[in-house]
Amino acid sequence: MTPTRKSARVMQERVTAYGFLLPNILGLMIFVFIPIVYAFYVSLHDWNALTPKVFVGFQNYVTLMTDSKWWHSVLRTLMYSVVYVPLLFCLALLSAVIVNALRGKTVGIVRTMFLLPFSITSVIAAIIAMFLLDPRSGLINQLLSFAGIGRQQFLGSPSQAIYCVIFTVLWINLGYNMTIFLSAIKEIPKDYYEAAHMDGATRFQSFRYLTFPLLRETNTFILIVTTIASFQVFDQIIVMTNGGPIDATEVSVLYIYKEAFQMLHMGYSSALAFVLFLIIFAFSMIQLKLVSSNK
Amino acid sequence: MITLKRFLLPAFAVIVGLAMIFPIYILLIGSLRSETHVFDLQLLPVEFAFDNFVQAIASTHLLRSILNSVFVSTTVTVVAMLFHAMSGYALARFQFPGKNLIFSWMLSTLMIPFAVIMLPLYLISKNFGMINTYSGLIIPAIFNAYGIFLFRQFYREFPKELEEAAYMEGLSLAGTFFRVALPLSMPIIAPLTIGFFLANWNSYIWPLINTQSEEMWVIQLQLANLIGGGYVTPWNVVLAAAVIAALPTFLLFFFMQKYLVEGIKMTGIK
Repeated sequence: MTPTRKSARVMQERVTAYGFLLPNILGLMIFVFIPIVYAFYVSLHDWNALTPKVFVGFQNYVTLMTDSKWWHSVLRTLMYSVVYVPLLFCLALLSAVIVNALRGKTVGIVRTMFLLPFSITSVIAAIIAMFLLDPRSGLINQLLSFAGIGRQQFLGSPSQAIYCVIFTVLWINLGYNMTIFLSAIKEIPKDYYEAAHMDGATRFQSFRYLTFPLLRETNTFILIVTTIASFQVFDQIIVMTNGGPIDATEVSVLYIYKEAFQMLHMGYSSALAFVLFLIIFAFSMIQLKLVSSNK
Repeated sequence: MITLKRFLLPAFAVIVGLAMIFPIYILLIGSLRSETHVFDLQLLPVEFAFDNFVQAIASTHLLRSILNSVFVSTTVTVVAMLFHAMSGYALARFQFPGKNLIFSWMLSTLMIPFAVIMLPLYLISKNFGMINTYSGLIIPAIFNAYGIFLFRQFYREFPKELEEAAYMEGLSLAGTFFRVALPLSMPIIAPLTIGFFLANWNSYIWPLINTQSEEMWVIQLQLANLIGGGYVTPWNVVLAAAVIAALPTFLLFFFMQKYLVEGIKMTGIK
């Protein structure tokens, strides 16, 4: 390769690279990066979208500190996460271990059955759940009254509604998370288990001292991704309960949404959103640290 | 122990699996019943009220919404695949100033949750005249650093020899990508296409914010309106509408399950 041809190549690499990156740089800039900066800017203003913005400094942040409705929504979101995340984690891991122990055609059949709910959308899942949980004549209430337990309000009950949402989301996402666990388990060398078996380890022991520790990366990945996603639960809630009954399921994102698009408190809603961002950011940092330390 | 492994465990797994698909079965048989029997405690499809489907289609803009969803999700997916492949390839193959900075900056956008930018995104879209339009539904949904990241990983492990040969033959670097690398990228494009399409088909919050008129609704909004809207739609019609709406992704699932599973593994491990 002659020197001129080489430097021509260097130039061509640069031009092609910038050209190839340009659409994404512009897109991510305009639709992700500028919006978060803009959110912070708007959060420093009092603005109802109709009259001009009034700069108020950190007033919105001061207000939210004592906004009990906001803190209740944060608390509800945390309660949702505290129930949902461990439940999903344990059930997905357990299902993966069971499916991994299966042989022959059953593996494919069971995996398909677990993954099928993932192919329907949040709204369809919400519809099915609302149909099954119908307070007057839903299938589950019919079975409960047969069993002599009596009909439940479910989505109409302030204490039960959130659990109905949790089970619906769990149902959709179980197969997805099981698939991730399953492929991680399959990468563990078989001889480890044979060695453990030789040493007289029981099935539970080889899970406890082999499988579980070796899945450390996958465990952290699923825990953190699921936690971050659970902080943002929205679709099922707005469809199934719209935050009700009596605010029992009004999670943070729904509160932010209502403040922005129904109350038109643009500045205040942005401040709430920014605080949520900081909470999620802290979790993302942990995730990034763990992912990069794996490399 | 042998019995446990040979019979009990598979039996248990299949029973749990059946429980997982039971709600979908209920959806299917419910959609085939008349309004008076929709809640009947009868697990076999005793009647076939296909009229439900006719009603679901006739009383709403159901087909229009499905068409909107197909159009939006397909466009987003195709454009995203092209842009992400190009960026991933540039980051994996080329040397240029600012490479690491650009890559880190792109990855940093992954930490911004959608819920936090929904209001500014609405305001920006409004400035661009993209509210209640297809471009408003499509363009903001295209850009995703995770897709770029996965393509970059793929091209880092992709053999260079073919491309070098093509370049020696006189093809430009861009031409090498489009003619040689991209057509050989199906192992990554197939699973990511399924994943992107499903994610966009499922998308709810942005279409809810962006669209105002029923003609612009995507299918998820149409369905949500059927159960949450002002007037009461009979359950049998709602279920029939849900079945119609589920068909495209069901078909995708049954014919492309292999790629779906590959895509899930890819997002989970890498």
